[in-house]
This record gives sequence, C-alpha cells and structure tokens, in this order.
Amino acid sequence: MKFKAWLKTIIFYEILIGMKATLMHLLHYKPITLQYPHEKRILPDSYRGMLALLRYDDGTEKCVGCDLCEAACPSRVIKVISAEVPDEPTKRFAKEYYMDMTRCLFCGLCVQACPVDALGMTREYEWAVYDKRQLLLNKGQLLAIGDRSYPVREKRLELQHPNVAFFNVAFKHLPPKES
Amino acid sequence: MVEVGIKIGLSITQIAVVMGVVLLTVMFLTLAERKVIGWMQDRMGPMEVGPYGILQPIADGLKLFFKEDIVPAGANKFLFSLAPILALVPALIGFAVIPFGPNLTVEIFGVQFQPFVISDINIGILYILAFTSIGAYGVILGGWASNSKYSLLGGLRAAAQVISYELNVGLAIVGVILLAGSLSLVKITEAQSGWFWNWFIFAPPFPQLFAFVVYVISSVAETNRMPFDLPEAESELVAGFFTEYSGMRFAFFFLAEYANMILVSCIAATLFLGGWNAPAPFLQFHGSWANLAWASGVFWFTVKVYFFLFLFFWLRATLPRLRYDQLMRFGWKVMLPIALGNILITAIAAYLFPRG
Repeated sequence: MKFKAWLKTIIFYEILIGMKATLMHLLHYKPITLQYPHEKRILPDSYRGMLALLRYDDGTEKCVGCDLCEAACPSRVIKVISAEVPDEPTKRFAKEYYMDMTRCLFCGLCVQACPVDALGMTREYEWAVYDKRQLLLNKGQLLAIGDRSYPVREKRLELQHPNVAFFNVAFKHLPPKES
Repeated sequence: MVEVGIKIGLSITQIAVVMGVVLLTVMFLTLAERKVIGWMQDRMGPMEVGPYGILQPIADGLKLFFKEDIVPAGANKFLFSLAPILALVPALIGFAVIPFGPNLTVEIFGVQFQPFVISDINIGILYILAFTSIGAYGVILGGWASNSKYSLLGGLRAAAQVISYELNVGLAIVGVILLAGSLSLVKITEAQSGWFWNWFIFAPPFPQLFAFVVYVISSVAETNRMPFDLPEAESELVAGFFTEYSGMRFAFFFLAEYANMILVSCIAATLFLGGWNAPAPFLQFHGSWANLAWASGVFWFTVKVYFFLFLFFWLRATLPRLRYDQLMRFGWKVMLPIALGNILITAIAAYLFPRG
C-alpha cells in the first residue's frame, strides 16, 4: 500500500490525471462560449432586464403616480412626482418620473409593487453608455423603452380594478367618458 | 579574401533564416498557445481578427509597436532600457549551436558550409547554458530598474528561481554528456542515430529517463512558465518583473519568453529525443531518396520540438501555480538529489558498459 502511494508520487499520478482531463477536453472540443456580439444567448422567460413604463392599448399611461414603486425600491432608483389630472380632482398621474439606472440592481420589486402593472422589465441588456448621465432616464425615455419592448398592450378596461384603475389618467385623446 | 566574403555572406544568410524562422514560430506560438489553452478550457480562443483569429499575432504586434513607451519616474533609465535587450539577445543567440537537421557539409563556391547548424562549436551545450544564465540578468535588472515594488519582488523571485533550476538543468545534462562523450550538440545527436532506443532517454547502458524528467520540469521553471511562473504571478505581483514595461520593451520580454521556450524545447529534443534522427531508420528518406534525408531530418526535429511546445501549453492549461516555498523545496530537495543520483549511476554504468 505504501509502495503504491510512493509509486504514484514518483510518476506524478495526480498531475497525469489532471493532464488527461485537459487533453480529453481538447480532443472532444465543444465550446460552451458564444461569440457575443455575433451570437447572443437565448434569454430565460423571466429575464429581468431594463425597466420600462407601459401604456394601455389606447395610448394612455398606466402609471397613476402612487409612489409605491419609489417606496419599494431598495436602492432609491425611482423618483416620482405625481400630480392631479387637470380638471379631474379624483385622478392622479406621474407628472415626472425619473429612474437613475446607475444604481438599479434589477430586483424587480418595483414591478411587483405596482398596483396597476404600469412597470415592466424588458429583455434589453445592452445599456452600456459612455456618459453615465445617459442612464438617468425620464418618463419619456422609459415610455419609449416600454413601447418598443411591449408591442402588445393591455386593454384598458374602465373599472377593471375598482380601487385603483378608476384613478387612471385620462388625457384629451381618450374617448369622452359617459356621464 | 573572396572566400572570407562568401563565408560571411553564407553565415549572415543562415542567421537571418534562423532568426526569421524563430520569430515566425514565436508569432505562431502566441496564437497557438491561446487557441490550445482555449480549446482545453472549452473556449474558442481569439476569433475576431481574420478567419478564426489567425491574424491575431499581427494585430498584437502592431498594437505593441504603436503603444506609448512609458519609462516610470524614478526608474534607472539605462538599466530599464538595457534589461529587455539582455533578456532577448541570450534567448536568440542560443540558436546558433542548435542542429536543425542532419550534419551535412556542402560546398558552395569552394567554401565548406553546414546548412543546418550555424556554428558547430565543440562546447555547444556549455555555450547555451552560459547564455541562458545571462538571460536571468535581464529579468533581475528589469525588475530592479523599474522602481516598483511588484517588479522588484518579481525580479527577486526570478533570480532565486532561475539560479535554483539552472543548476538542475546543468546536472540533468551531465548524464547525457557522459554517454555521448562530447559537448557538441551535433556529436550528441549523431550518437543517437538508428532506432529510437538509441535516443538518450531510452539508451543503454543507463536510460536517461530521470534526467529527462528533471530537465523538462527544470526547463519549464527556468523559462518562468506555468506552473512555475512566480516571477510574473499575475494574481500576486500584477505582472511581476515587467509590470512597468509597455510597448516594444514589453514585446522584447514577451519574445524572450517564447524564444526561451523554443530554445529549451530544441535542447530537449536534441539531447534526449535524438534531434533530427527518425524513430526508426525506415521512417526517413533512404535508398534512392537518400539525398532528401535532410528533409525528413528537419521534419522529425520539428515534430519533437513542437511536442515539447505543446507540453508547455498543456501544463499551463492544467496546473495551478506553485507556492514559493514549494518551488524551492521541489528544486533543491527533490530535483537536485535525483539529478545527482542520475549522474552517479550513469557514470558507473558508462564506465562498466562503454558504448560501442
């Protein structure tokens, strides 16, 4: 037994096993890497990429300016300035909406917190920029991301969520409300 | 007078050809190393420049050539410039005595000329050992002259490591010299002609297998390659002795490392694996093709050298770096006794059973 161990030491047995492993990988060469800019990997269904603001199918913003996403965000990415809809004192909307994506850790808590599903996570991940100020996104940019990532929009149903959706913003291009 | 002129012209042509081949091989090796290690690690290696990345060495060379040449403040400017040259020149100069093919003598314009060895001096192997030792000065001076703590540590490590393992290389070679009875690389190779069991790694009366293993391990350590790359350990010392080097000066160190790899591979092939000799007499051009025997000789030499170069890559892809005390203990307490014992036994065997 001792002789066997000694023999293994002098013929570098462990090293030979390691070298056999690398040689086998060379002979059965099958790369597991992708040539990134040319090939892109298939993302999983629940991929959490860039955040976006969404609209209903008639073009109205879903966001009701409730500030729940701002409260849920662990790294204080989101800043919402909400306001009343002009002439409709029961409805509010996000007058300004900022996201500082330099701090975002893509946890998705804001998306879960949103009562009207106004936030979505897209599958965009190529957001490297030369100037980090370009990552401070305003409402228009976030809506644009949502527009290009969610071509199929949710149908706007009045009173769909009796507590919340009723407060949704109605802009002038909305069909007039029956009274 | 004319004869001397022709001699000088032939020598210069020969030197140019050998340098060209060596530098082209270095270029090829930089790509081959990245590719082979990539394949061993299930990666692709460089793929962007040219089809399958084959133009990568040219891109690297151009990049290094046009990079800014920075001399750090407080560096000793003279030694800082001298060190890369001291590293590269000994690595390239060793090729002067390597026999790349059969020991032919052809007559060109009435001048005796050996086409496959630049100069067959009778102390060839000592000459190589002497010059590779000078190469260590380049590393040490480069580390010291950079005025950086990482470089200095890398240089110190290189000094200790190269000296320890140079000793083992020298002692491992002694066994072969005892059997061959000559220090000339051409004569050593000629003593191994015939079948592969005449190669000194298997040769009667005493196979130099232990010397071969000691030589290979020590030469890996001497060229500062993985797993003995402590002088440039990138996880500890940034880049070791060439931390502060950039541009062409860095390229010189890089070239020196690869040229040293080729040089030790050539020596290993010449001393232990029979140099240009084919494994079996029928595996070279013979009979009516005998005047083409040099081609098969060069082929077999190339195959053996590339086997060792592949071994370098293979070891690098497989093994982690040794710790410093392990390196020193392995060199002095394991390799040195084996090499000394090998000399003792070989000397006794060579005395009792002299080679015919």
